[in-house]
Formats: sequence, structure tokens, C-alpha cells
Amino acid sequence: MAEPAGPGPVDRVVKCVVWDLDNTLLTGVWLEAAQPPGAEPALLAALAELHGRGVLNSIASRNPAELAATLPGLADWPAPFVSPQYGWGRKSESLRRVARELNVGLEALAFVDDDPYERAEVEQALPDVLVLSPEDVPDALGWPALCPPVVTAEARARAASYAQAQARQQAAREHGRSTSDFLRWCRTELTIAPAAAADLPRLAELAARTHQFNSVRRAVLEPELRGWLASPEHRVSVLRLRDRFGDDGLIGAAIVHTGPRRRPSPEWTVQLLMMSCRAMGRGVIEALLAWLARAAAGQDGTALLVPSRLDDRNVPLRLALVAAGFRAEPSDVDREGRTWFRRGLGGQPPALPEWVTVEAPVPL
Amino acid sequence: MLVELTGRPELAAIGPQTPLLHPPVRLDSLAGTLLLRQIRARYGVDVADEDINLDALATLGTLAAFVAARVTPAAGPGVQSGS
Repeated sequence: MAEPAGPGPVDRVVKCVVWDLDNTLLTGVWLEAAQPPGAEPALLAALAELHGRGVLNSIASRNPAELAATLPGLADWPAPFVSPQYGWGRKSESLRRVARELNVGLEALAFVDDDPYERAEVEQALPDVLVLSPEDVPDALGWPALCPPVVTAEARARAASYAQAQARQQAAREHGRSTSDFLRWCRTELTIAPAAAADLPRLAELAARTHQFNSVRRAVLEPELRGWLASPEHRVSVLRLRDRFGDDGLIGAAIVHTGPRRRPSPEWTVQLLMMSCRAMGRGVIEALLAWLARAAAGQDGTALLVPSRLDDRNVPLRLALVAAGFRAEPSDVDREGRTWFRRGLGGQPPALPEWVTVEAPVPL
Repeated sequence: MLVELTGRPELAAIGPQTPLLHPPVRLDSLAGTLLLRQIRARYGVDVADEDINLDALATLGTLAAFVAARVTPAAGPGVQSGS
């Protein structure tokens, strides 16, 4: 089938392909076959290709959960399956669970199933999901939605990172103490440092992939990022995150107009604030906003401004801004559709958690 | 709802005046987003759409008042739950 029309087919970035098993990834029906079925070679190659591009793979199968234990013995799978879903419920429900567990939007999912009924059910219930038959897959591998323009080290490590995230969530449930205690127990380390030219591909990738914590909600390409990096009036800072469960690498950035170095502007404007949803719930955005306020106040700044294009996807960013003391008037909207959030810098600067390391000397 | 979203049993005891986004409750952006999603699913009220500074999230009292003012009898609690 052709790539369907619908919300943002051109801008769509598929982050996870959810596969049916019986007669799709497997060469038969697991419960019915006399011999355990093997893997479909062409799709095995597609799995490997997607994994290499940093696209995750998952499963939505009408089979008992026991198949999960048998699956590794059926083929030499070239990629791990994250958040696999087994059971007899609707496939659209399985896809919703995958999106929820991975914390991605439904438009970030593709679904492959040999059964036209299952495909129709998902197409009807979840029009944002890219629905494919197994025969579509070779062509689809050439579609922009499945071809990330840049594949960074962080992207290649994505599947491992989601496995670490699941281990972390499990530990958090068992831990049962406050979030800050848990972050300390995890040995969370957030490093904020000036960006280097080598970071630009990852920054462009983050700008394309982040939604929930992205203040501008538009594509920002490498030339524009390079311009900010070279500008004497801007500071580009990058965030790296790791803990006892793993190293997430570069997960966020803030691009701030500070004015000339010798005579910084009293009002600092954050031109772009973005953070991967992998870092959500780990104190990162709160620490970043606190650090920005401290850095601006340290340069005699009077206010920190975050112009944000608001939509229903970046509500998490707005929550973080409001919790950090930012406010906007409904009339504070510029020609680019950005609402200007402002935080005055008088009084005591916000505290920075002890697990944050700042490599950039303050001033930034 | 808060206990379920955060896994923090002590939140069952907070009063209507307790701030939600500041200590001791201090919902982070993940818990806050889940709370807003639940409100929308359960009561059909989109707080983020109407309240630019999310003032409704100041306390449980302000949140309850905000939702109550917008829930029509036909879309009352339970009608949209599970959506």
C-alpha cells in the first residue's frame, strides 16, 4: 500500500515497528504448527536493518504470554523486542500499550500484520499508526518515515536504553521512597556542558524526535544549529544523563540568547529547549530550568524567558515551566505563534540537585 | 487517583489546600501529565487547553473547582471513564 495520508505523513518519524508473529515474522502459526515455525528471512533482514537505524521493534501477537519464553529459540533475532504484547485482546489495544510503555505518540508506531482484518481494525481504531502488510515492508524501508536522516550513537543504543528504562521503572516501583531519594539511589548524574560541533547531528535528531519537551515544535536543521553555535550572543548547552542502569548519552539541550558576552542582556531568552522523553520523570528538566535561572541571575539577569509554541503534545514542558515559576499572559503570543513564558530572577535562586555536574563555568 | 499515578500512598491524605506542584507533593511533569490525561479521560475536561498557566493544578481544591465548573450532568464522572 502507499503511505497513507493523515496527520503529518511527511514529518512522521516511526520510532517503533510493532510486528505480528503468526504468519508474519514467523513462517507458520505457533500454536498450530507440528514443528515450531522459524522466522521469515526477508523480515528478519528488515528487523536487522531497522535496528541498525535506531528504530525499535516490538510484538503484538494473539498468543499466550508463554510464547515470549519460546521465541528466542525460534530464530536468531537480530534485534531485541521492547514491550512485547501477547494475548487475545484487540491489536489496537496492544499498540496503545506499546505507545504508553515507550512513552511515544501513536504516530511514532508502525504495525505489520499479514491478516487484513487485524490491519483494518488498527487502521480504523488508530488512524495515526502506519499500518503495513508484510509485502509492504521492503518498500517501506525506503520511505522517509523509516529512514532517520541521521543515525547517532544514541539512536543505535536506543533499544538497550528502553530495556534500561524498564529496569529503572521496576526498581522505582519496588523502591517506594521519594523521587529525589530514588534518583540518588540510582546514582543519577546529569552533566550540563557547552555544545561542540560534534554534537550537531544528535541535536538535529533530538529536534526532530522530541515532542513532549520541545519548546518550538518545528524542525530545526543542522545549519540553524550551527549558526547558534557560532553566534557570540548565544550559548548552546547540552545535557548528558547516566545512572546505575545505563548511559543515555546526550538527552537534551538549551539554546539561549544571552546577548554579548561583555555586556549580557538582562533578559535571557531560551530559543530552543528540548529533552528526550527517556529523561522524563528523572528530575532533568527541573534541574535544567533551575540551572538556567541560576546562570542568568549570576550574570545580573532580571528575567528568563521561554517562548514556546504550545500544543497538546508539549503539555509536560508547560507543567515543568509552571512548576519552576514561569508564567505567561494569554496575550504574550508572537508572530511565530509562540507564547512567552517569563520568570523573574529576583530573590533566592532555585537550588540545584547535588547530582548535577556543570562543566560550563558560570557564566555559561 | 494521585496515589495510583505516583505510587505514593501518603498522597491519599493531602487536603484541598495542599499545593500540588510544590513540596511536599511536588508532582513532576510526568505525574502532572498523567493526572491531566486522567482528568480528560474521566471528566472530559481538557485543563491544558483552557488554562495556559495551569493554575487549576495549584491544589486539589482548585482542580476540583475547575473540573466541576465544566462538567455537564450528561458528561459527569463515570460516563467517559475508560475512554
